[in-house]
Amino acid sequence: MYQLINNYDGNESRYIKMLSTGILIPKVADNTDYQEYLAWLAEGNEPLPADEP
Amino acid sequence: MSTIKVNRIENTSTTDGGVSIDTDGHVTIDGQQLPTAGPLSNRNLIINGAMTVSQRSTSNAGQTATAYRACDRFQTGIDSLGTWTVSQAASAPAGFSKSLKMECTTANASPSAGSFAAIFYTIEAQDLQLLNYGTANAEVVQLSFWVRSNKTGSASFAVRQRDNSDKLFSKVYNFNSTADTWKKIEIEIPADTAGVINDDNGQGLTLAWWLNSGSNFTGGGATTGWEALDNTKRNPTNAGIGGTVNDYFEITGVQLEIGSKATPFEHESYGQTLAKCQRYFQYFPAGAFGRWNSSTSAELGSSFSVPMRTTPSLSINPNDNVCNIFRVGITTNQCTVSSLNNAYMNPTGGVAALTVSSTASTPNTGDGAAYDPDGDSHVIFCSAEL
Repeated sequence: MYQLINNYDGNESRYIKMLSTGILIPKVADNTDYQEYLAWLAEGNEPLPADEP
Repeated sequence: MSTIKVNRIENTSTTDGGVSIDTDGHVTIDGQQLPTAGPLSNRNLIINGAMTVSQRSTSNAGQTATAYRACDRFQTGIDSLGTWTVSQAASAPAGFSKSLKMECTTANASPSAGSFAAIFYTIEAQDLQLLNYGTANAEVVQLSFWVRSNKTGSASFAVRQRDNSDKLFSKVYNFNSTADTWKKIEIEIPADTAGVINDDNGQGLTLAWWLNSGSNFTGGGATTGWEALDNTKRNPTNAGIGGTVNDYFEITGVQLEIGSKATPFEHESYGQTLAKCQRYFQYFPAGAFGRWNSSTSAELGSSFSVPMRTTPSLSINPNDNVCNIFRVGITTNQCTVSSLNNAYMNPTGGVAALTVSSTASTPNTGDGAAYDPDGDSHVIFCSAEL
């Protein structure tokens, strides 16, 4: 499961978090962790929304 | 112009050494094979082939899933096939001091169809352009490595090339005729005149040493040259390592080079190898400096000593979730990091935001924060692996 992250200003971060490992993953096409996230999304999954500030 | 045609040149008082020229014109000097193609140095396309660099950990017990663990750049592939200890072992053949070891601690004698245990190594695509794949000038390459195992018999090696067309080359080799003995293996990988490898920072070739697998990956026989991917040809002869507790597989001295002959392993200094590895994995830099945003959160920024392949993923060392972040002016303030909250990174560095669950002294918002990892354990991992 993944979760979106917001910056302090409320805008969406350039990173997402994998909750099982705590790994922060950049939304960058050639990062292999992000490629796995995109594959997970393609299976119909959805990340959790970002925590409220 | 004259040509001297001889097979060997040696001293009148010796019976070996000297210069030998084989029937293909390839030259050996005093028993050392000279390269038949490519450069005289920087020949090895494998980083950390001697297994000297192991930044994440030197030993990881209880492993049941695919991940990068001990020796840098080498990924241990495990899927529903037992439990393993993955380590940088001191066991090695003459001329080497380290090896990558997978040792089974919970066996699986009857792997399910999709299960496997293997060692993977992926080469960045832009570093393979000298192979000229996809052209009439495509190069033959030689793979050489040392292996040791408690098992004997045959095992499978495979190479996968995903760009443009997902292609496979696989080969069965005799990895050991005597248990617990190092053996050097040489495998020739044919030129691929059809499969273009993109000139980018993505995956080029993935090498795979198969230890064990279920039926999804075996039974199809080895390929005859490069073929379209067929999963049943990836592990054509299953070594079955991991079918019994204490089964192990050690590997070192991995070298991949262009040409029709394997040459002696190209050793390099630890520092050279470490710098190459850091393109794919490194610690968040020591000395990163920032500020406390509250008594339990801080932001730290720094630059990498080696630019990474791409923007890295960040994680706390899973073997030790303690991280040293100091309140500037307070000498002892070891923090237990509870999470990485956000980051603003690129391949050359950036900022990480952390939450800590305990501090030795309470920092105030706006206090300076400094990052001081304690050796190799209290660190933040930055990963841009392929």
